[in-house]
Amino acid sequence: MKKTLSFSYKLAIVLVMVVIGTISGLYLPWYALGILFALLAYILRIPTGSAFTLGLVSGFLLWAISAFWIDGQHPSSLPGRMAHLFPLGGSVVGLYIVTGVLGGLTGGLWAWAGAKLRFNK
Amino acid sequence: MKYIKSIFPLVFAIVWTYALHNSWGTLPPLGKLMSPFHGFWVNAEAPESSELTEENLQIPGLEKTVTVVYDEMGIPHVFAENDHDLYVAQGYLTAKDRLWQMEFQTHFAGGRISEIVGEKGMVSDQFQRRMGAVYGAEKSFEGMKEDPKATETLQAYSDGVNAYIESLTERNYPLEYKLLNYAPEKWTPIKSALFLKNMSFVLASGTDDLKMTNILRKYGKEVAENLFPNYPFVESPIIPVGTPRDFKPVPIPESPSDFIGLGSAMKTPEKDPNIGSNNWAVSGNKTVSGLPILANDPHLTLSLPSIWYQMQLVAPGVNVYGSTMPGTPNVIVGFNKNVAWGVTNVGSDILDWYQVKFKDASKAEYWHDGKWKKTTLRIEKFNIKGKASFVDTIFFTHHGPVVYLSHEKPFKSNIPVGHALRWIAHEKSQELTTFYKLNRAANYADYAQALTYYSAPAQNFIFASNQGDIALWVNGKFPLKSYTQGKYLLDGTDPKADWQGYIPQSHNPHAKNPVRGFLSSANQSSVDPTYPYYMGWQYAPSERGRRINERLEAMSKITMDSLRGLQNDNFNIRARTLLPLLLAKLKSPAGGVYGQAVNELQRWNLQNAADSKGATIFENWVLLLHEAIWADDFSADENVPMNSPSMDRTIKMIQDEPQSAWWDNVKTKNKKESMEEIISGSFKASIDTLVKKHGPLGSEWVWYKHKQTGIRHLIPGMDALSRLNIPTGGGGTIVNATTMKTGPSWRMIVELSKEGRPKAHGVYPGGQSGNPGSTHYDDLIDTWAKGELRSLLYLEKPEDATGRLRKKIILSLKK
Repeated sequence: MKKTLSFSYKLAIVLVMVVIGTISGLYLPWYALGILFALLAYILRIPTGSAFTLGLVSGFLLWAISAFWIDGQHPSSLPGRMAHLFPLGGSVVGLYIVTGVLGGLTGGLWAWAGAKLRFNK
Repeated sequence: MKYIKSIFPLVFAIVWTYALHNSWGTLPPLGKLMSPFHGFWVNAEAPESSELTEENLQIPGLEKTVTVVYDEMGIPHVFAENDHDLYVAQGYLTAKDRLWQMEFQTHFAGGRISEIVGEKGMVSDQFQRRMGAVYGAEKSFEGMKEDPKATETLQAYSDGVNAYIESLTERNYPLEYKLLNYAPEKWTPIKSALFLKNMSFVLASGTDDLKMTNILRKYGKEVAENLFPNYPFVESPIIPVGTPRDFKPVPIPESPSDFIGLGSAMKTPEKDPNIGSNNWAVSGNKTVSGLPILANDPHLTLSLPSIWYQMQLVAPGVNVYGSTMPGTPNVIVGFNKNVAWGVTNVGSDILDWYQVKFKDASKAEYWHDGKWKKTTLRIEKFNIKGKASFVDTIFFTHHGPVVYLSHEKPFKSNIPVGHALRWIAHEKSQELTTFYKLNRAANYADYAQALTYYSAPAQNFIFASNQGDIALWVNGKFPLKSYTQGKYLLDGTDPKADWQGYIPQSHNPHAKNPVRGFLSSANQSSVDPTYPYYMGWQYAPSERGRRINERLEAMSKITMDSLRGLQNDNFNIRARTLLPLLLAKLKSPAGGVYGQAVNELQRWNLQNAADSKGATIFENWVLLLHEAIWADDFSADENVPMNSPSMDRTIKMIQDEPQSAWWDNVKTKNKKESMEEIISGSFKASIDTLVKKHGPLGSEWVWYKHKQTGIRHLIPGMDALSRLNIPTGGGGTIVNATTMKTGPSWRMIVELSKEGRPKAHGVYPGGQSGNPGSTHYDDLIDTWAKGELRSLLYLEKPEDATGRLRKKIILSLKK
């Protein structure tokens, strides 16, 4: 089954993923994000071709924006220190991006896994 | 095939997630750590508002409500209705700011670091336990339990810590748990005992007996005693010379038979124990206010989170303010309405080594007093992260643990193998009772009585009261020894070499209201040689003590601010004597950087100020000079570690023994160096190293850039959580004793008042919070580095309007 998704449908999926991801983040362990993305990909019949990208974008946006938002709400020297520890030369923006990439890859891989299980071909 | 293809992404996702959920070597669990919902992001704390905010917290175990107000430095002022609730609150609030530190330090003390960091923590863990850290803590815990008040206090404190631990979920664990990927465990009262015992490790585990025996074996008794004299040539002892004695000495034990031990040991790294402290009290006739002022600055290895945690503890019968140590109840250094007290370390010899003669390889029996006696065994189990656990057996003679067997490699080069350790830290003790009573002391009698419970690590307890008294007790449990007993390794078979009881506590050196109007201590010799008991042959160099005493002697109309000046005094009293001696003998290559350096030294005002270039040149020269004189004779064989003679002895040799054979460098064959050659050669070498390190003589040579004072996080190598290259002056033999890694860990000055509240100022190099995500993590460092102090808030009730309160927490019972 080859299917292309409309942009608005993709956007809707990203929104759902971000909302589900937020709720799971607040109440469940960090890796629940992946498992839920896999379930979403499975239930919403997200095609294998789009699943990874959609999971990646959703995970990235969720983690990067959350990190940015927390930093705005609780301004502290901690992100700067962590950006030296990693080492990102103290770049907090770099730290948002690394955070986003980790969330994105986790989301993407699991969404892909969920889609693959559904569309066994 | 299809099936495998469809399952492959899932396997991949699981592996990815597993990898990010666990730590790999020093790499933290990245997924958990970076998640904005679970990881370090959660630990970020916004700066608090300047308005007073209110919060209610419910914790189990309280009997009544406890009110806590935090001031602008994040210092909690705790108002409880009984002792029990006070200590529950102390435990809870300390854990709230410092949980990871408390647990990490007690893990370290108990030899359990390998549970967190894996195998690389093993050698240090084994050393801790072989030295009897856990054994000592168990003994001292027994002692504490004999005082019902101490038992109640410890239990309440422990309940408070656990109430906080139980309130946590993984996502709000302190940052370090997330970095190192582990979870806090339940607190127990014995952890407080472990923490207190660890203070003996920090302050009173130095030992030179092995190195001295190695010297004895190589050079003989005459040389050893000549180069390592039992009292300094220049000294200003803590107890003023001529202080009348109010006791009749007990008989001194007979000396053990002459003994030259086996010595030896192998090359291993060793820490440089550059830690000491200053304290003093001046009586009212020297102060503007007419009442005593007391000052204290304990020097320790500077670290983050801060060593100390400030608190005010108020309940019926107590209203005390000061620095507490996270992990133990009560205030350790502080003041109440009537009295103030402080501590510095006593460098007496309370640790000895006995060469053990085992009957056979089973080590079941050892020879003592003409017969074979049975060893006892202690089993220690190590749970190592990522490895199978390891069981270690420690052999004990009646002296104590055999720390390393003859074939083992010691963790530090000053620890002899095949010797049993006799150490005051293994005794049953009641330090907690001392602090409990000091917190409530109202006068000199209360203070003196509180000190009778104290064993180790021995401290110079300085004291002042608003009745006008000042006093100092050199206090702790001191073994009753024959003269210089334990300077060298002792014979474990000779009963006369055993400790023969203790100096009666009331005979401990002490002074009250001396004519000179002040008392002080800076870790130098406790007493002059007329004191009837032998306490030790080697104390910290006398410079800080002499400088403090000469200043206090000269000062009049003293204020808190003039004493703040003294705490920050950078005058190099050693240079005052030594520099003219050296410059007179120096034959420096003319011109160039050497000439500039000589000019710099001649112009130098002898202040180890942060921006001084003279201080850099002098300190580096002295270091290399000392090495040039002694390294050939005393560090020739790295498998036979030896001490080098002190600077006090070295200066004596420069002054009076220009022809001494020690000037010759025995490593240069066919050449006999003179004093002038050694002095000039070391000058040239020291300038060469400075040029190599900092380039041509210029702004890079200033003292603070050379010295590089840093305050490091407790996890080694965690620079991102440390503050490095702090612009401060001072030095090891300077009153402002700030070195690369050590320095004043708490500066406090208290002026007592007859009716009103005591006035106090203080600061430490860090902050109240242990959380690197809080503004209170390091917000006091800049004040500290500038040599300034903060005014300390002493409240009588939580409603006291001061404009300095930021947060109020009502703690009530959780049903």
